[in-house]
Amino acid sequence: MPAILAEGLAKHFSPDIKAVDGIALDVPEGQIFGFLGANGSGKTTTVRMLTTLLRPTAGRAEVLGLDVTHHAGEVRSRIGVALQEAGLDDIQTGRELLALSARLYRVAPSEIAERVAQLLRIVDLEDAADRRLKTYSGGMQRRLDLAAALVHRPSVVFLDEPTTGLDPISRDSIWRYVAELNRSEGVTFFLTTQYLEEADRLCHDVAIMDYGRIVAQGSPEELKASIGTDVVSLRIEGGADELARAEQAVRRFEGIEDVRVVDDGVICYVREGSSAIAKLVLLLDEASLRAKEVTLARPSLDDVFLKKTGHHLEADEAAAAADATGRARGRRP
Amino acid sequence: MRHAIGDTYFLMIRALRETVRQPALEIGNVFIPIFFFAVTVGAIGNSAARAFGVDNYTGFQMPIAVLQGVAGAAGVAGIGTVTDIERGYFDKLLLTPAARISLAMGRLAADGVRICLLSAFILVVGIVFGSGLESGPLGAVVLVAMAGSFGLAYSGIGMALALKTGSAQAAQLGFLIFFPLLFLSPAFAPKEFFAPWLEFLATINPVTYIVEGMRSLVLEGWDAAALGKAFASIVAMGAFTMTLVLLGLRSRTA
Repeated sequence: MPAILAEGLAKHFSPDIKAVDGIALDVPEGQIFGFLGANGSGKTTTVRMLTTLLRPTAGRAEVLGLDVTHHAGEVRSRIGVALQEAGLDDIQTGRELLALSARLYRVAPSEIAERVAQLLRIVDLEDAADRRLKTYSGGMQRRLDLAAALVHRPSVVFLDEPTTGLDPISRDSIWRYVAELNRSEGVTFFLTTQYLEEADRLCHDVAIMDYGRIVAQGSPEELKASIGTDVVSLRIEGGADELARAEQAVRRFEGIEDVRVVDDGVICYVREGSSAIAKLVLLLDEASLRAKEVTLARPSLDDVFLKKTGHHLEADEAAAAADATGRARGRRP
Repeated sequence: MRHAIGDTYFLMIRALRETVRQPALEIGNVFIPIFFFAVTVGAIGNSAARAFGVDNYTGFQMPIAVLQGVAGAAGVAGIGTVTDIERGYFDKLLLTPAARISLAMGRLAADGVRICLLSAFILVVGIVFGSGLESGPLGAVVLVAMAGSFGLAYSGIGMALALKTGSAQAAQLGFLIFFPLLFLSPAFAPKEFFAPWLEFLATINPVTYIVEGMRSLVLEGWDAAALGKAFASIVAMGAFTMTLVLLGLRSRTA
């Protein structure tokens, strides 16, 4: 039985606003599954449907064999969830918040104190346990939120961007807890993230979401192998005109599989990249263009993301910060 | 049902903890009704008593002070719920298997408890001012219970608006509409002295019967009819506001 199953799952807020547009998921038990995508790609809406907070417009989803619409109560009692914003009550202390969560999740009263102490130890918050949450840093709040999601020993845990906005040390601790719980207790994690390198390192499988649809799915290794080429990145001196001319120039190279123009250069997908570099630089030179920097790499998940969606995740996030709502609503024309 | 009661209790304790940790928020709820009570009785007590034929105008006004306290304190559940919604904690509660109704009833019950304590305090102040209490200690318990149950029912308006809109301004509307209801009741003079149109509005105003029920405990002793009408008004108002709360909850849940 899969831990999470979805078929044709969709959420349309209006005919024009298709936040999630018919996705399929099959996440086996015991997996760390990464759900990658830019702001507004539909990740959070998907998580909210799978965790019973939103009713799907179409399709169906099951968690641990339970339909999320018809058995919402049972689903809730068997999953743990930490949403994008660590939604905490800052008047309470960490210990009080965990104890209340434990009571609402029907943890046996005789076990609550011990379970709370154990979780505080796991997330390194023992010293701050009796302080009010308003004195916690962002990283501490996220760790406490994760602990609250685990208080009833759920089999499946949903984490919606658990590390976004955290410093590298806090981020590393969250990922360490996730990996440890997955390894020691077999907990299935479904997590959304914008950090491709971390997803690459920790997730067994990932799906890339773009404008409400899954555009790629598989293990990080499979996805990288699917590109089937080396990646040569050429940073170009100049502006938009130079980039357009650079794209035309490198497309004349016989061994080129694909080209993507990014903010400050072009990315070339080529076979045998080491021998292609000199020819690509020569083609630029013939077009009176100069490469400021040339790098050769095996494909990363970022390359997979770029190839499947046409944009870098990081660049997308910067644009999203400038225009938080613009591209979040519906499909690309 | 057992779970719903347990969940309501845990969430009520959490809401009361907020009050204990932010006691400054209660100062206005205590000070304002006592201030108006003292000023009203001091300014027009003697002349109003003669004009309306009321022997004990201090006792006549004391239930009004209690109800003003109720109005101030009854908005906390709605405002607290808006805060929970805004900071995402309400979603966290929705994700638990807790009974949905408990998510609203926990805060409403906390309002009921706070209002009982506040009313008891105002009652003691009123007695010190010379209002008297003809129904004795048991009457004090009934009056406080009446205030608490009315407060719980009345808090439902702010809670329903909070759930439906997620807006603090909307949640505070519950507080604002109380004052027309209070002034359309025999708050300052017996109903018999009202103009016919105002007497009609007072007759259909449920707050009138709560004022008269409380007043009967203070001025007359035990008046079963007045108390019956008061509790019937509270039950009717509670049924109405709890229906609104359930509709608000439905709009918040998948």
